[in-house]
Amino acid sequence: MFNIVKNNTKNIIVRCNEQSFYIACRKLSIVPSLYDGEQDPAPKFFSSGVQVLLKRLTRPDFAKVFRKRTNTNQQVLPTPVYKFLTNEELNIEVTKANRTAERLLQMPPVVKIHKPIEDVICKDPALVGYDTSKFLFTDITFGIPNESRIIVERDPDGVLRSSDHDVRKRLNQIYFPIHGRKIREPTMFANEERFNSLLEREKYEFILDRACIQYEPDEVPYQKVTSITYQHVDLNSKYDLLRSTRHFGPLAFYLTWHDSMDNLMLELVQSEVVREAVLLIALRHAIRGDIANGDEVNSVVQQILPIPVQLTKPEHLREEDIQLDNKCVDCIDKYIVNNSSMKSQHGLALQGFREHYQQLVELSRGLKKAHGTA
Amino acid sequence: MPSLPSASGTGMYYMRAAKSIRLIRQGCTNRPFYHISVTHRKRLNSQPVIEQLGSYDPMPNMYNEKLVALNLERLKFWLGNGAHVTNPVAELLGLAGFFPIHPRSYMTAWRNRKTEKERVAAEEAEKAKAESS
Repeated sequence: MFNIVKNNTKNIIVRCNEQSFYIACRKLSIVPSLYDGEQDPAPKFFSSGVQVLLKRLTRPDFAKVFRKRTNTNQQVLPTPVYKFLTNEELNIEVTKANRTAERLLQMPPVVKIHKPIEDVICKDPALVGYDTSKFLFTDITFGIPNESRIIVERDPDGVLRSSDHDVRKRLNQIYFPIHGRKIREPTMFANEERFNSLLEREKYEFILDRACIQYEPDEVPYQKVTSITYQHVDLNSKYDLLRSTRHFGPLAFYLTWHDSMDNLMLELVQSEVVREAVLLIALRHAIRGDIANGDEVNSVVQQILPIPVQLTKPEHLREEDIQLDNKCVDCIDKYIVNNSSMKSQHGLALQGFREHYQQLVELSRGLKKAHGTA
Repeated sequence: MPSLPSASGTGMYYMRAAKSIRLIRQGCTNRPFYHISVTHRKRLNSQPVIEQLGSYDPMPNMYNEKLVALNLERLKFWLGNGAHVTNPVAELLGLAGFFPIHPRSYMTAWRNRKTEKERVAAEEAEKAKAESS
């Protein structure tokens, strides 16, 4: 559970899931929350249903997915390459592009915090006084994964034990460095002011990408950083900055897990993407299971999924689209009545959508009649 | 100018020659750093080794730790091939738990404890003398 405290206090000490966090805040404070309770998010996150929904919610736009990433925000336009292809070759190229996009949009895993390693191998009190410093032994055998590498330490009191996660990570980085990962904590994450300034400048993708490189997904600082970032995105409704990136899935999962997806729902309805709103409701049902008409929502989702992702509004609506959209609106209505915590705002947005949609329907039906294709 | 041989090992060796796993001092003046390598027993430390099996940094780092890297798989291979192990390497492997603890480690620890006890006793005696006088 997280709570957002808008107050003017300088420093606050908050308790969150049996851990106290000391946060310096200026105007607004966000409490980080970790997946460290009894509930394990991993089985739900990795289930195929949830994965499909999350991938659909990211709404991948290939222009953004395949853009050249630069340090500055200058857009780099590559020289276009033109190829003449047959239909079969074109399909091959399309499948290659889809596979590359899937790799680029692979979501960082959502898992619970790792347990500390407390494994004493041997106690040798006769070795007390041998040396004043610890000895760290790393096994640099080629071909074993970093997680299962043998890393032990001999303490000055003669105890031989397996090293804990932070020592393991440091030594793995020394002997088998990952490009971009630093041994010492980057100031960006350590310094509250710098972190807050990054959040205020809305550099969410940069923060999350760097967090993915620097930390493993089951570490405490990773979950703190990502939870604060997600909450900041949620507060300012800047979901578009993370759409078409690999971070939107875990963002949607986080908000749904902690029951704060209503802002996202509002943004979806206001931008008139009711199908994604229904996908979000289905996601909530998959994670929390508290939607009353869950089966109905799932059947609507099954009809939405085969339709490819639409980045722009379609010019004309077919009858099947209109029926599907009406079903979506019904689902959203029931959600607003039963589960929403921002009933008035959702209701207003839905009403606005209904009126606008009615005009679109009349327009398309009128056009069809005029063209004689009704 | 011919290039220097690689410090991590040439991989070339005489099969029947005597080999040993020992510390080869690298590093700079007043800053030792050892490579744990397998080399022919009669070779000098400046001559090329067969293979580097790890490293040992005798100077403690900022967290007061001494880092030792050991390629256990290759170590087992060379031990199986009849390589001898020198005393310092045997001590390190004993501390790591790979070998039984070397008697020299117990001796050093005992001697350090003894000197520490004598030093503390001498200090107490001096303090007592200073207070009484």
